[in-house]
Amino acid sequence: MSEPRPIDINMDLAAARAGQPAAIGALILAHQRSVYSLALRMLGARDLAEDLTQEVFMQMSESLHGIESNEHLEFWLRKVATNRAIDQLRRRSRFEMTPIDDHEPMFGPVDHGDPLFQRHLEMHLAQLSPAARAVLLLRYQEDLDPTEIARTLEIPVNTVKSHLTRSLDAMRHGLAGAGREKREDKHR
Amino acid sequence: MNNDLESKLKHALRPVAPSDAFTQRLLARVAASRDSRPQARPTASRITRRAAWWTSAALAASVLAAVGIQHQLQTERERTLGLQARRQVIEALRVTSQKLDLAYQAVRTQSVGGDRDSGV
Repeated sequence: MSEPRPIDINMDLAAARAGQPAAIGALILAHQRSVYSLALRMLGARDLAEDLTQEVFMQMSESLHGIESNEHLEFWLRKVATNRAIDQLRRRSRFEMTPIDDHEPMFGPVDHGDPLFQRHLEMHLAQLSPAARAVLLLRYQEDLDPTEIARTLEIPVNTVKSHLTRSLDAMRHGLAGAGREKREDKHR
Repeated sequence: MNNDLESKLKHALRPVAPSDAFTQRLLARVAASRDSRPQARPTASRITRRAAWWTSAALAASVLAAVGIQHQLQTERERTLGLQARRQVIEALRVTSQKLDLAYQAVRTQSVGGDRDSGV
């Protein structure tokens, strides 16, 4: 049901612009994983991510006349989702300083990766500024290069690069520290 | 080290799917919002509307031009009538002045003749 359906996506876009409900549904199914994952990892809570995903797709259904291709749609969805999430995080930080919810499964129910790494990544994401978090997600979740990230977030490419460098350095140091602690625990 | 970290990040940050229940709700919500929205008019109707707008605008412009010309003609006519009236008044004054001159001379002639008769 929720699997993406990559075939004929540009035809779906043309039909969706003409107002065909099935085509709009197909576009939502094709792109909801990306939008939902960005929202979940930006906001750190499933209910907030679902609300944001819904808002983004409602806006998409109103704005289809201005979307020219599937690539444009992908760009538009990422831009709207990340900008809405950044706005929400900035508004939230004015009232409370709550970090990302520790109990929320941000990396999916089934993941065969390293649990220590995932825990560390989750903590690292929680500590990042909204813009730096968006940069990291667009780079490693959406596989965009720094120029595309800069265009999506409307920030200079050098800012994107410095966010990425700082994030990777911080993660590397954090992981090295965590690895040392783990080895020390084993020796005890 | 860097490539290893980056590949780990890509693996850990693969997109995840929302629940099927949420997907169903989302599709229903978007469909409902589109149904409740007024439907876009067909292209032919839009063209007709645009033509109607231009026709209305052209009619309004024509009416304004006609009113302007009418006003101009009326002003011109009043000005001509005013000039004619002025000329007539001047003519009347001139005739009256001549008559008064004649009357004055007649009175004066009579007055001089009367003085002679009385031996003054």
